[in-house]
Amino acid sequence: MANRGKRVLSIWLPRLPLDRLMRCGDARIQGPFAVIAEIKSAWRLTHLSDAAISAGLTAGLSVPDARSICPDLLTEPHDPVREAGMLRGLWRWADHLSPWVSPDPPDGLLLDITGCAHLFGGEEGMGKSARQRLQDLQIESRIGIADTKGAARALARFGQSRVEIAPPGRTIESLRDLPLDALALPVDTTADLRRTGIRTIGQLYSVKSSELARRFGLDLTATLSRAVGQTPDPVTPRSADPVYAARMTLPDPIGLLDDLTGVLERLAASVCSRLAQAQKGARRYHLTVRCVDTGDHVITVGFAKPTHDPAALLQQFARPLDELRIEFGADWFRLAADHVEPVQPRQTGFASKGEDEDGAARIVATLGNRLGFDRVRQWAPSESHLPELEFTSVEAINRDAPPVWQPAPRNRPIRLYRRPEPLSAIEPGRPPGKFEWRHQIFTTEKASGPERLMGEWWREDSTPQRDYWRVQTTSGLRLWLLTYPGLKTSDWFVAGRFP
Amino acid sequence: MTEIGQHQGALASAGETIAPRHHGDLLIAGPLRLRKGRVHEVLGDSADMFAIIVASRLSGHVVWIGPAHDVESLAPTALQAFLDPARIILTVGTTRNEVLWAGEQALRAPGSCCVVMELRDGPDLTASRRLQIAAEETGALGLTLISGRAHTSAAQTRWVCTAVETPAGGWHWRCIKSRQGDLGAWHVTWSGGEDGKPWKTGTLHLAAAPSP
Repeated sequence: MANRGKRVLSIWLPRLPLDRLMRCGDARIQGPFAVIAEIKSAWRLTHLSDAAISAGLTAGLSVPDARSICPDLLTEPHDPVREAGMLRGLWRWADHLSPWVSPDPPDGLLLDITGCAHLFGGEEGMGKSARQRLQDLQIESRIGIADTKGAARALARFGQSRVEIAPPGRTIESLRDLPLDALALPVDTTADLRRTGIRTIGQLYSVKSSELARRFGLDLTATLSRAVGQTPDPVTPRSADPVYAARMTLPDPIGLLDDLTGVLERLAASVCSRLAQAQKGARRYHLTVRCVDTGDHVITVGFAKPTHDPAALLQQFARPLDELRIEFGADWFRLAADHVEPVQPRQTGFASKGEDEDGAARIVATLGNRLGFDRVRQWAPSESHLPELEFTSVEAINRDAPPVWQPAPRNRPIRLYRRPEPLSAIEPGRPPGKFEWRHQIFTTEKASGPERLMGEWWREDSTPQRDYWRVQTTSGLRLWLLTYPGLKTSDWFVAGRFP
Repeated sequence: MTEIGQHQGALASAGETIAPRHHGDLLIAGPLRLRKGRVHEVLGDSADMFAIIVASRLSGHVVWIGPAHDVESLAPTALQAFLDPARIILTVGTTRNEVLWAGEQALRAPGSCCVVMELRDGPDLTASRRLQIAAEETGALGLTLISGRAHTSAAQTRWVCTAVETPAGGWHWRCIKSRQGDLGAWHVTWSGGEDGKPWKTGTLHLAAAPSP
């Protein structure tokens, strides 16, 4: 199992909007009351007070229908911003249970409680204590504990008791009787599955996953394997680091390049000065431009080293901003720094090496932002006896320190063709006396070899044994010819060219 | 008279503004020198060796730009006999225009000392002029390696470099075009670089060769 020993606790807050109003001292909740939201172009009830439920109302009813059933019903539109704020507060509150907490919007929290439960007297004690403390805050909750995020969420929402625990390693058994909705699949998939007669998660696991994948797509099987812990699905705690971002809203939309640059200049000045103060730099910046007609456009630029220089930022953004099509203008901008890392201040003047590195970083950023960072690379040595595996290349943006190169133990060509190029032998021999390569005829003057290399037999995709010959041609070129002695055909290839 | 005098003055001042900034010469060996802040063209089957040896005489980063199959075939195992592989930044351009654009940007960026562009056919007047202007700004040395045909261009010099079959190996370097006017042909060999940091111990030997 992929995440052996991990335990996840999921807190579900089924009445979060109501609890929020209750904590604000709203007295309407004592009587028939509902929080409503606009769903499918009608105002519908989402969360109901006890009195409303006992009056016969259910979630999902439209407001006119509900009023005809219960004329005394009072309603309040939901407030996603304040509810998210409350969830954020609870996310910080949950720190005392486990240090590894992530919010699970809109109405839940996920905690990685591996190794924490004994502090509360076991998992059951932990669940009960968490529930009790929430109740003291006048917040209703349900709790599920299982090996995986998906299973814990499902148990919290659909479990029998208020604190439902799946024993370690028994995830599938505990999920067996839960309805399909517990998996939080897309609505369409759930409806399609139900049409095929599958009602519970247990039935779903009894179907071959290849058939499920063929019919419902790989998303479904991925969700299933995550829920039982076959593929890892860790709780990602949201970072508590400060956010380096700035936004600007304009009264009227703008569209001219000069104006956009002006906005970017002010945003960059604000973000970069804060980064500089904290002695930090960002490797990536996102600029969101909200156009009045086409919505948000996010432009991202990357840097080879953490940067807080507004001028460099402007330079890298100049081209994508120029390419951005703004027809009716944009009125909202946000610049956010990403991949924030500390930067060490450096003495200028004496350190010419540092300036050199700066220059290289700027070249990498310029080329990478246009061509893609995967196309700006540098070499790194690697351990192998096969000529094509003696080195690799890494993205220049990711390379921290220059690698240390060992002198080459054997004579190797300066050009090593990734795919050896076939030649046609005119005079046969070992190696051929005369051959044609790249539409040119070469005559062998001197040859030395063979250098016989075995494939890496411990790898599954090992290549067959090969013989390399150094060939001096009469035209001057020094070539590296290759043949595979183990194979029946005696084809020759040009593997490389010597300096 | 005054009008003519003014015209002459205007021409003179215009001439001053377009005169290239002088960044000095790079001494390769003996009489062999390349002007910095300019772009040079290299043809022939061992053009890449010319670029590597020139780059080894400079310090700073080398940006090597070319199509994927050319850039990926370059092997640092042998290259480290000539220069530190960590100095090289490889860049893949999928089209000719991308290679030229990347070359221009790299020449213009401060911090690169040598920019190598691998092209099939040589750049034309417009493209090479753009490269020249970019190189003049920073004083970087540009090299275009041409595997196909060279066109009329604004390059400072044009070289043909071929491997020669002698016991010691080596190459034949021939300057076939130069703005300064000094042409010549040399037989170039490289020796050294056995132990320790190989690229620091190698030396270049030069012998005059008859121009064929």
